[in-house]
Amino acid sequence: MSTVRLTQAPRAARQLPARASLRSINLSGLTSSSSSRVVVATITLGAVAIAILQLLLNIATSSSVYELSHLQAEKRDLSTTTQILGQQVDSLASQQNLANAAEKLGMISNANPVFLRLSDERVFGKPKAALTADGRVSRNLVPNSAMTQSSVIADPAATATVAAGSTPNAGAPQALGFVAVKSNVANGSSAVSSVVSTSGGIPASPTH
Amino acid sequence: MAYLTPGDPKRRLRNIQVAVVAIAVLFGIRLVDLQIVEADAINAKSYANRAVSRILPSLRGPIYDGTGKVLAHTVFKYDVNAAPNIVAPFTRKINGQATTITVDQAATEIANLLGMTQPEVMAKLAGTSKYSQITKGVDAQIYRQIKSLDIPWLFFDPRPARVYPNGAVAGGILGFLDPDGKPLEGIELAQNACLAGKDGEETYEKGVDGIRIPSSAVTTKAAVPGKAIKLTINADLQYFAQQVLTSNVAKLQADWGTAVVVEVKTGKILVAADAPSYDPNQPGKSSVENRGSRVFRTSFEPGSTMKMVTAATAIDTGKVTPETHFIAPFGLTIPNSNGYRVTDSHVHGNDRLTVAGVLRDSSNTGAMQIGNRVPWQTRYTYMQKFGVGSMPGSGFPGESAGLLNTQNTWANDVVKRYVSTFGQGVSVTPLQSAMMYQAVANKGVRLQPQLIDGCVDASGNVSKVTKDKAPVRVVSEATAHSTLDILEKVVEQGGIGKHAAVPGYRVGGKTGTAQIIDPTTGRYGNLHAISFIGVAPIEDPQYVVAVTAYKSRTVSNSLGATPIFKAIMSQVLRTYRVPPSTTKSANIATQW
Repeated sequence: MSTVRLTQAPRAARQLPARASLRSINLSGLTSSSSSRVVVATITLGAVAIAILQLLLNIATSSSVYELSHLQAEKRDLSTTTQILGQQVDSLASQQNLANAAEKLGMISNANPVFLRLSDERVFGKPKAALTADGRVSRNLVPNSAMTQSSVIADPAATATVAAGSTPNAGAPQALGFVAVKSNVANGSSAVSSVVSTSGGIPASPTH
Repeated sequence: MAYLTPGDPKRRLRNIQVAVVAIAVLFGIRLVDLQIVEADAINAKSYANRAVSRILPSLRGPIYDGTGKVLAHTVFKYDVNAAPNIVAPFTRKINGQATTITVDQAATEIANLLGMTQPEVMAKLAGTSKYSQITKGVDAQIYRQIKSLDIPWLFFDPRPARVYPNGAVAGGILGFLDPDGKPLEGIELAQNACLAGKDGEETYEKGVDGIRIPSSAVTTKAAVPGKAIKLTINADLQYFAQQVLTSNVAKLQADWGTAVVVEVKTGKILVAADAPSYDPNQPGKSSVENRGSRVFRTSFEPGSTMKMVTAATAIDTGKVTPETHFIAPFGLTIPNSNGYRVTDSHVHGNDRLTVAGVLRDSSNTGAMQIGNRVPWQTRYTYMQKFGVGSMPGSGFPGESAGLLNTQNTWANDVVKRYVSTFGQGVSVTPLQSAMMYQAVANKGVRLQPQLIDGCVDASGNVSKVTKDKAPVRVVSEATAHSTLDILEKVVEQGGIGKHAAVPGYRVGGKTGTAQIIDPTTGRYGNLHAISFIGVAPIEDPQYVVAVTAYKSRTVSNSLGATPIFKAIMSQVLRTYRVPPSTTKSANIATQW
């Protein structure tokens, strides 16, 4: 124990390293600079803006989808209207309805036609009254179950009376006969056609 | 008082770390399982819950007449369905006030609109099922009225339906569809490839409220509508012809009647009328045999209208001229026929007639002699050229070729050879008869009858749908001219033929009163097929009109057919504004 190593200095005598002298440093370089704050703020605001924009876009899209759905329903409704009106027109334009309407207006097809040759103004055939001509077909013999509407012709005599006793409005049609729509279905709610017939004369043009 | 023991913080920390890692690993595994392993299945299940697929029905193409008038088109009709499991009273705003509508009230409203009784509707609403069909195929007007009732447990399924706006006008030609939209007859059947469209499909995702989810993927296969078929028929003329024909067939108490109008220079069929006619909107209301068109399908022995073919053949082969002399007795026995005797329709002596006179008087014995001037093999060939026994090729489904016995049959049956000169022993359809006369009216050239103008696409491009058949030179132009002169004498001087005259026009034609075999006895019966086929105007033939009334009971000869012919031909000439004739008929002797 007495053999103390002389090379080892006594503990107390050990020389401590020289302590570095303290100095103030500028922390501005280590803390966030104004430019980095701008970057962070931009990123944050950008993200928020994007989120808000996306939200708005989603709201707008959702709104458009509901609008689209509404418009599509409207389109379907209008298509149905078109179909109803188209079927009414088809029905009124069918040969059966036209023949019936013409006959009611007094336009009777003459089964005994006579012909005029223009070159010498010669008439061929012996004219006969349409009502008494042989071979007259007086009613519709060609069935049409699709004819759900038919023209209703106003009584020409009544029409004439009304026309004589009243002063027509400027915009009113001259002929008072009209085609009402008679439906074979109950309580037809569709618009009533207002086609003007010629029972009381040729309809006057609204312009002169 | 409890004291916290210091323990081993490092150990605790390590345990927590292990637990956290273990949980993280578990979550990770589950995440991988959900996101990768089961991802497809889960996505599919989720999509199936949200996705809605529906067929977009294609609209069948319309059928037009030659003037563009719509003869057939497709509209939507609606099936009215209910969900009985949610049938309950509901509220409806009436004049701004919410009013409760009971199920009974709603059923009454539905019944009134559908033409049903309230108990019938109530029966449909009973039960707990999710689906009950109240009625199907209501039109758009009723659909709208029912929809406006705003009944929450009613649902509507639209489905395409075929409508024929002119009803039975050309009904026999148009055909019809079955309730599932499958074509069963007529042009609908024959031209289905053109008329049928291709259904589309739409798939989208919907939310709980049934509204399509924004930005959800939509897979759409657009429906392709069918193309249009344009016929050659003139619907107004067709209606007129059907009116006249139906009226006269009723007067004649005939089984049926047909009327055909053909444009001479094009072969276009302007009218193909049948009586009785049928309404393709309600095919079930007509008997099966009346649902097609006899104009194209029904062949019968034509009778004397075939004498025109006999005369034209003899003239074209140079064996006779229109003025060649014949002595026509009342009756004539066919040589080598075991005494088979042919007589004329009325008793007379030995008439001295020319070829024109034979046709004017419609003498069977005269026609047999004219035909006998030509070798039967040659006559057989001419009949073939006139179209007997071959398909006309109009494009109408199931058209008949008629019947021309084989040459071998003719070789062994002298009676068949002889009677064919006046239209017995052979059979043709009304269309074939008309096309024979079209041939002589068209300077001897028989054209293919045209019923279908073509298939028209959305751009208006027309494509042919029938196979073209080359025109057939049947007789020379000179022969055709001479034959027309003879036909004109029939109308000018014939006892019956003159009833077919149209004032102011040069009209030629031929009567026909054909015997009809009674299938029960195998012999000719007492009723006849009466016909008249004519051409006008003779100086520049434009139209052929062929009329037949089958088994006429009140008039037994073609006097019953001439008024129909006259009415239709007059209307045709007026419709197409053909001016009256300015020339006179040929000066041909009819007797000597």
